[in-house]
Amino acid sequence: MTTAKEQRQITISPTTRIEGHGKVTILLDESGNVSDAHFHATEIRGFEQFLRGMETDRLPFIISRICGVCSTAHVIASAKAIENGYNIEITETAKKLRELLLMGQVITNNSLVFFFLILPDFYFKLEEDPSKRNIFEIMRENPELGKKALELKMFGTQILQAVGRREIHVVSVIPGGIIRPLKETERIYLIEKGKKALELAQTAVLLGKELFERRWDEFKSIAAIKSHYMGLVQNDLLNFHEGNLRIIGPRGEKVAEFHPKNCLDYIEEKRLGWTYAKFAYLKSLGWPGGIMKVGPTSRMNVISDILTPLAKMEFREFRIRFGRLVHETLLFDYARLIELLYACERAIELLEDKEIAKTDLRVKVLPKEGIGIGVVEAPRGTLVHRYVLDKAGKTKNIKLIIPTQINNTAINQSVKDAAKEFVKSGEIKPGLLNSVEMVIRAYDPCIKCAARNLTNKGFLTVEVRNKEGKITKKLS
Amino acid sequence: MVKICTVSLTCCAGCLSSFVNIGEILFNILQEVEVIYWPTFVDLKEIQHVDLAIVEGGIRTEEDEEIIREVRAKTDTLLALGICATHGGVTSLGNVFSLKKALEEEYPGVYRRATSLPKLKDMMYPIDNFVDVDIYIPGCPPMPTPIQKTLQSWLKGEKPERNTGVVCLECNRKIVAVRPGHLKKIYEEADNPEICLLSQGFICLGSLTRDGCGAPCPRVGFTCFGCRGPPDSLTYRSRDLYDFLIRVTSRRTGIDMEEVKKELYQNPFVFHAFIFSKKMERFKSMERII
Repeated sequence: MTTAKEQRQITISPTTRIEGHGKVTILLDESGNVSDAHFHATEIRGFEQFLRGMETDRLPFIISRICGVCSTAHVIASAKAIENGYNIEITETAKKLRELLLMGQVITNNSLVFFFLILPDFYFKLEEDPSKRNIFEIMRENPELGKKALELKMFGTQILQAVGRREIHVVSVIPGGIIRPLKETERIYLIEKGKKALELAQTAVLLGKELFERRWDEFKSIAAIKSHYMGLVQNDLLNFHEGNLRIIGPRGEKVAEFHPKNCLDYIEEKRLGWTYAKFAYLKSLGWPGGIMKVGPTSRMNVISDILTPLAKMEFREFRIRFGRLVHETLLFDYARLIELLYACERAIELLEDKEIAKTDLRVKVLPKEGIGIGVVEAPRGTLVHRYVLDKAGKTKNIKLIIPTQINNTAINQSVKDAAKEFVKSGEIKPGLLNSVEMVIRAYDPCIKCAARNLTNKGFLTVEVRNKEGKITKKLS
Repeated sequence: MVKICTVSLTCCAGCLSSFVNIGEILFNILQEVEVIYWPTFVDLKEIQHVDLAIVEGGIRTEEDEEIIREVRAKTDTLLALGICATHGGVTSLGNVFSLKKALEEEYPGVYRRATSLPKLKDMMYPIDNFVDVDIYIPGCPPMPTPIQKTLQSWLKGEKPERNTGVVCLECNRKIVAVRPGHLKKIYEEADNPEICLLSQGFICLGSLTRDGCGAPCPRVGFTCFGCRGPPDSLTYRSRDLYDFLIRVTSRRTGIDMEEVKKELYQNPFVFHAFIFSKKMERFKSMERII
């Protein structure tokens, strides 16, 4: 027998300053306390279904349409998966150019997230008029800062333009390598821009640290979740393009380290009844013990060091300040700044190596039957493309594991924790809205990626249930 | 101050990212306009009356339709940004099968039960299936330059400059007969950078695609994929697009028409990637495509 229970829910829609259209609902229990929280996207497209049967020569280019925000990561993961299936090893020059592209993506993304999405939370007081709490207002009040933000972001865009030949949905990456070499003039131009960008990145890190320090006491209590962490490591160092996948446990113990092509032996997905979203977790530990997180803090947790000098210093300071393992959700924002610095330094390093302008970019591609897996670190975490390929050079099956999908469980949990602070016995304290959004913002979830497929939705719901039926309250 | 809002329907968010990529000029434009609604950057959650609404993405769910009708009612000018909004985009490749059915198969009962999930339309639609559009900027995504030029003319109250030709006009390759013998895949071999890709046997849609992008793809050896949709000259005879491509390909490569036809049939994705959803433009709307 079921008794008619009131279901009270709080809906926040659309969630703002997050890439993609999201929604939050908060569910309350009988006594008016938070009982659960879910995070979904509000659209479905079905990429894995309708791209079945596509010829592989232009698949990377089309599959990148999953997401215009992290398109470069998708293109490269896709090309890697096809090459893995066809058993091709691309040239060193092509690898360098691809890594440079990924650095361009990280610079564009991380500077956008920091300046455009997160900075307004720090720049303005909490009680500031919401119509003012945005980057456009900052640009008006402080044009210098606005210009710096744009200039730093533009360095990433310039890399994508020069190497990728298009700023969004790059076209230069094809199975077998890269389509055009980098010209010497472009190389010199990018180094010049890069040096300026590196200075700006240092400014951004300083600014970020200062703002962060000011509010750390308030932040550290918000939504810390202990879980497993996964990320690419190359010889124990931070790398976005190559290396092994490493998984560590909630106490810092190494759980597994393996070649990316074997990743589906370690990761499994689960469906829950209330949503189309799938939840990825560590196979050996099952559900829910094997919950994982990926992304900036996970990468900081799995590596032992960073190679480039400035980011190395910041990384060491980060470890001394917050410990060997970090669980706090809002540290995503801090770690993202370290990666921004790393990406600028690494881009310059790659560009200063004259060999990057060499012309041996393509190897011969011969289609064959098989399974191919491609893995890269996207700005938001580990991205996996897996294809079943046929002899004629087409795909028979496509499966993707997307960072936001791996973080899904943790995001829901964090939102629930954050909401608990503000909703007690049916009373909603002010600040709920922004605090819930800040937590989601920290994960930088890519709703577009999560919603690529019919199995993923991406709005956030927190429902509150009690005895008087269903009340929906919209917060804005 | 002029008020604008941006709305994101079913899409990849790349078009508004391209908008942000106009960089310094965006900064200047923003001095002149007030952003009323832009969920990615601004905390306001209600769409209010604006002078210009920039919409990316197409209509895939009932919610998308509700939003676009609301936006149309609250704006003076509606700008459809990107191929998803103007023609349906890559997502319309999914029109060939029922997403609802696939959902029901994979998650029995969830689709019907889940009231918080928006209901799906039977397929992906461009937004002008539901509302009038004042300015179309197709492209996946449109390059920053046409976006910037269009906005600047709009701010001045002028009619934006249109692109009516084909991508080949902006491509620097020479059209000469090469006789490649067979149609090639992109990864098969490196192209000759001087000569038309189609002549070399790579299926390039440049001759069927509207210009205005600057031909960034064919210039570097990546065949045009048609992300700007058909040009004025081909707009009315869309059913002939397929035949047109077969004839052009056959003429430039010397390969028999029947063979080209067979090859193209086997690769349906080449041709339909971006404009699968589009009904043919009426005279009225053609004049509005930038």
